[in-house]
Amino acid sequence: MPTLHDVDFILEYPYTRTTGPVIGPFLTGLRDGRILGQRCGARVLCPPMEFDPDAFATLAPDLVEVGPGGEVVNWTWVAEPSAKHPFDRPFGFAFIKLDGADTALVHAVDTGGDAAAMGVGMRVKAQFRDERHGSIADVYFVPEADAADQAIEPGEEPVTITEHLISLRIQEPLYPHRARFAQGLLDGKIIGQRSPVTGKVYVPGRGYDNMSRVLMDESDEVEVSDVGTVVAFTELNPVQYYGQTETEPYVRCSILFDGTDQPVIGIDIRDMTVDEMRVGMRMRCIWRDPEERSVAEIDNRYGNVPETVYARFESTGEPDVPAEQIKEHSW
Amino acid sequence: MAPRPCAVLGIGQTKYKRRRDDVTLDGLVREATLGAVEDAGASFDDIDAIVIGKAPDALEGVMMPLLSLCDALGAIGKPIHRVHTAGSVGASTAISAVNLVESGMYDTVLTVAYEKQSEGNATWALSGGKSGGQGAGGTFAPWIRNYIARSEAPEHIGWMVAVKDRLNALKNPYAHLHLPDISIEKVRESPMLWDPLHFLESCPSSDGAAAMVLGNDDIARKSGRPPAWVISHAKRTEFGQFPGRDTVRPQAGVECSEALYRKAGITNPREQIDCAELYVPFSWYEPMWLEGHLIAEEGEGWKMTDAGDTELGGSFPVNMSGGVLSSNPIGASGMIRCLEAANQVRGTAGEYQVPGAKISIGHAYGGAAQYYAMWMVSSELNPEL
Repeated sequence: MPTLHDVDFILEYPYTRTTGPVIGPFLTGLRDGRILGQRCGARVLCPPMEFDPDAFATLAPDLVEVGPGGEVVNWTWVAEPSAKHPFDRPFGFAFIKLDGADTALVHAVDTGGDAAAMGVGMRVKAQFRDERHGSIADVYFVPEADAADQAIEPGEEPVTITEHLISLRIQEPLYPHRARFAQGLLDGKIIGQRSPVTGKVYVPGRGYDNMSRVLMDESDEVEVSDVGTVVAFTELNPVQYYGQTETEPYVRCSILFDGTDQPVIGIDIRDMTVDEMRVGMRMRCIWRDPEERSVAEIDNRYGNVPETVYARFESTGEPDVPAEQIKEHSW
Repeated sequence: MAPRPCAVLGIGQTKYKRRRDDVTLDGLVREATLGAVEDAGASFDDIDAIVIGKAPDALEGVMMPLLSLCDALGAIGKPIHRVHTAGSVGASTAISAVNLVESGMYDTVLTVAYEKQSEGNATWALSGGKSGGQGAGGTFAPWIRNYIARSEAPEHIGWMVAVKDRLNALKNPYAHLHLPDISIEKVRESPMLWDPLHFLESCPSSDGAAAMVLGNDDIARKSGRPPAWVISHAKRTEFGQFPGRDTVRPQAGVECSEALYRKAGITNPREQIDCAELYVPFSWYEPMWLEGHLIAEEGEGWKMTDAGDTELGGSFPVNMSGGVLSSNPIGASGMIRCLEAANQVRGTAGEYQVPGAKISIGHAYGGAAQYYAMWMVSSELNPEL
């Protein structure tokens, strides 16, 4: 079984958050070197909340300064920080009840890497970072005795929106059937899987026949034709989003390759306009030269027959297949 | 044991907008929730359980939002359920809440759905985070092309739907798009996004939330609010891709409507149903769903649109509120269809009221047109058909 490449993909997006009437002032306070709690009846909630967690009432914004000192009411230790943690050395995450607040804030405590310095009841004090953006990460905590005095310059505009680059790294091997399909493309072959129950040929195979609920493996694989029929198409005018590199319109189509029962979707056509396309038209894959083919973008969920393996699709010159014959393959 | 009758007793919606920058996500959901609870003449104490739905978490990047939304929803100490069926989720969520009442498990259930699309990007989310994502429009456009080819519909049908729904939206204060000068020419001249779909034939990207309070027959009688009885509902699913799939007229959609009509004793939907809120995110889906949900014969749906039957004053009004084409907080869009159907039979639809509407349907579809959720509401528990 070929091992081509492992999937290593970072799924990430810079999400924004609108901060609203209570969280906005709280974040503005952090940027300006102050920690604010929200009054809720006789109590002060920090972190502030928009709704009374007991009576469910909407809380009118009523923020008061709490801290900067406080008491650890519980804690845990992060022995091996990740790149996204607030410190690059071991540190504590603690529930901190700030002076003047009735509830505890979860935050990071830097003891210089010393777990033994942590304890329930320990006094801590807020320290503000030099660069502040109106974020919970503008602040961190240290043992009270280690705290430095800070002179914080307040910012200008209130914080009403925040940005968060949220990412997830996906690392996994290609599934065996995906690896064989990708290897086939490198070899200039389109590999499908024939259902042992119905005889229907799926391209690319998923490793199972979803209609008959049976597994399919290497013994069910067949090379199919690289000539087929266009069953659906559109012209895409690329929507611009984070990570989008397409800028110009192009045609995307689905092709039912001869001898198969399910079209390959997402085949991009750069050298024809939408007006030149027809459902039913017969097309042939013109492969790239073997040394120019790449399947790097194939992972376990995305990627069928990518442009990185073919140079173009061209008309075979045969008459179109009547629409009625391909009605059931209209993806 | 027969299911316990269930009625919509309260409805709440936010104003739908490109970006609601004055509230948090929690505050947005809260607005619709309070609206529904107040409209039902209830308080949070009266709510026994909560059912919440939204489209994929990747749209806002908030994982398991049902947990962080507990206090905004008044859900502390109560059961909360989350439903997820992609774009159809708003309707699936409402139906899941109905199930809880019909089963006798709870007397009063709050159901809420939302999307704050401005916090992320739906096309990014649907692309799997990769370049070249085609979005929903790029997925549906080829199927729409095939519908047009198959039905021989003239190209102006899509433009007509785009204009009609935007004109309806002018009567709905909650609608996102208010385009008073919309016209066939403007739609036709707007940029082509996914051939044959123009910009103005596509739904907007909206922030918003919708909520309903549902109660059993005892609660309905006590509340004194105009009820919308949920007299039938159905959900169906099929694979997104399989050999023999008809994407123009998916079998699950046909079967979903058959089940919906059968349960209510409907034998002629076109005549027996007064109006419908169908999930039409792209103009051509109006005729496609008229056919795909058995309101029109195959190949005849576009003729209803063309004849003006689906206009507000027509014989079978569709998307009186302006529909998904005018407001699209994705996760909520299906619930809005359901609650707007309820508005019609409660007689609370204001300027877009269909006079005397007695039976209406709300509908949503999701994924690669593979999830279907539909409900039928009536002003009467046992309406004469």
